[in-house]
Amino acid sequence: MTFDLVVQQLANGLIVGSFYALIALGYSMVFGVIKLLNFAHGDIYMTGAFVGLVVFSAVGVWLGNGWLAVVCALLASMLVVGLLGVIIERFAYRPVRNAPRLSILITALGASMVLNGGALALTGGRHFAFNTDLGYSGIDISAVHITYTQMILVASALILMGGMQTFISRTMYGKAMRAVSIDMGASRLMGIDVDRVIALTFFMGSALAAGGGVMAGAYYGSVHFFMGFIMGLKAFTAAVIGGIGSVPGAMLGGLLLGLLESFGSSLPFVGSEWRDVFVFGALILFLVFKPTGILGRSVVERV
Amino acid sequence: MVASFRKLACATALASLAMTSLAAAADIKLGIVAPMTGQLASEGQDLENAVKMAIDAANANGGVNGDKITTVTADDACDPQQGVTAASKLVSEGVTAVLGGYCSGAVLPTLKIYGDAGIPFVIISANSTKLVDSNPGNAFMTNSTGDMQAVTAVGLFKKNGYKKIAIIDEGDAYSSDLAKLTAEAFPKEGGEVVDKETTTAGEQDYSAVVTKVKSSGADAVFWTAYHAGGALLTKQLRQAGFQGGIVLGDGNNSPEYLQIAGSAGEGVYLLSPPTVDLLSGAADFKEKYKAAYGRDAGAYAALSHDAGNLILDAIGRAKSTDAKAIIEALAASDYKGLAGEIRFTDKHTLQTSNFRPVVAKDGKWVAAE
Repeated sequence: MTFDLVVQQLANGLIVGSFYALIALGYSMVFGVIKLLNFAHGDIYMTGAFVGLVVFSAVGVWLGNGWLAVVCALLASMLVVGLLGVIIERFAYRPVRNAPRLSILITALGASMVLNGGALALTGGRHFAFNTDLGYSGIDISAVHITYTQMILVASALILMGGMQTFISRTMYGKAMRAVSIDMGASRLMGIDVDRVIALTFFMGSALAAGGGVMAGAYYGSVHFFMGFIMGLKAFTAAVIGGIGSVPGAMLGGLLLGLLESFGSSLPFVGSEWRDVFVFGALILFLVFKPTGILGRSVVERV
Repeated sequence: MVASFRKLACATALASLAMTSLAAAADIKLGIVAPMTGQLASEGQDLENAVKMAIDAANANGGVNGDKITTVTADDACDPQQGVTAASKLVSEGVTAVLGGYCSGAVLPTLKIYGDAGIPFVIISANSTKLVDSNPGNAFMTNSTGDMQAVTAVGLFKKNGYKKIAIIDEGDAYSSDLAKLTAEAFPKEGGEVVDKETTTAGEQDYSAVVTKVKSSGADAVFWTAYHAGGALLTKQLRQAGFQGGIVLGDGNNSPEYLQIAGSAGEGVYLLSPPTVDLLSGAADFKEKYKAAYGRDAGAYAALSHDAGNLILDAIGRAKSTDAKAIIEALAASDYKGLAGEIRFTDKHTLQTSNFRPVVAKDGKWVAAE
């Protein structure tokens, strides 16, 4: 591998990895608090992209198709989809929260299908163009071209994740969230409004996924009802690699997965068709040998 | 409240009874199989609409041999397993003939099912050569096959002076078949395939593949899969500064490709199936389609419409709904449709290729010089 190739694949891995990290974070937060693998999370990412596209097209009339409109779309979509996450939690997960684990897993699959099928019905399965004029200008490192858009993208993902980490570790609500994740019953006895904390977790996790969706839509230039499927799987993998339930773990897992993909597919004698073999092979290895991931703590199964 | 629910239930039951008896009055039932859900749901919808348009027109003119025609649609979701389920459903419904098939991968395992049942099967747009080899004799392909497309592709590479080609597919039956055929044909004409890559359908990020293609020193990229990935790949190739040519297989002919690729799509070549915009006699069809379904006719709408008329023509000539008679009539077809002539070889493929190279210019496909 030449130097250029390494730098280029490093950049590629970081960009796609920051998307994985954003989505993995929501997966991990929800799992941390109510021990649920939220299968609807990939579809929330997709919904976020669509809401973002609608807002972008609406405000584009006044603001043009540049950064201002993208930021508007990002914030609006995070708010709307965050609320959607709260609604899903209220009606699909809360009623079965104390039922056997399998029930909530199945309602999560149901929620995923409702979002996916709803988007299919509304959009007719079409691919929508998300045409921004962010341009391709950027800096050159020897033969490698990195656009400003790509740099801003990675930076925004890091800022969002950093903000989330600060919120969880420094604020009262964050403390409540951590308390609920350790012991829900004891938290309730300590006067924590558990329902509210869980709703807040869903709001934040869904808002991050929506943010990722809008950023991916604007960056790749296309939005489609099926876009959440693979992203959901990869984000889940990233969350497991980093240690599911751990916030810094989700970020680390996302970035590592992105790098694994980009470097895995440019190894000599290995074609790009092996990319997903690396990704899901890593998932299996971690599940077998280190199910708590890189940064996760071992969780005692509560009966 | 309860009473009104009962009334509603009664009314619904009566209505469905009435609909069943209406359907029973028709004599010819045709099956349509297409992806109605999944990645390619939009293309499947198009196929169904265009076939139904042909059938509605025939029904308005008194049907075929005096019989009315009804349709039943089965969803294969472009997935081999769902394709088998869909085929079994159509066979158990007792359809006279089946039309459709968008993805070769989903059609391939169903050939045996229709073959065993002896049902005539008109494959509209799926065109992998594997379908030709496993045809039990009841299937007819109205789209030119992959090997004809590979010949058209190599011809275009030579004309444009491309010497080193990178070929990228999505790993499914259709795109890997076209990639393989092209990779075999190009070296025979003096060219070189410097890179061969496979991506995952539904993926958004192609940067790793783009980086490999760029470092392979290819003059041009040949993308053999579908438009969703094609548009993203085109954008990401140009974003990474790839200056060479981009050539797309026939699965990319969708208005969505040009919308999503935007300015990055300018100058891209496409091996086009006979779409409504490239056909001189299809303007009327295009308008009627838009009026009936509120959307633009997609890439295979004209071909799907022709296939609908082709089967009606064959049933008319067979003068019966006997499967063997219809298969014989189909084999003897000499039908001139919107998309060109349909005459079959003894392998039940088209006698003449219907691919033509086009190039994107000012956001539109125009015939390549």
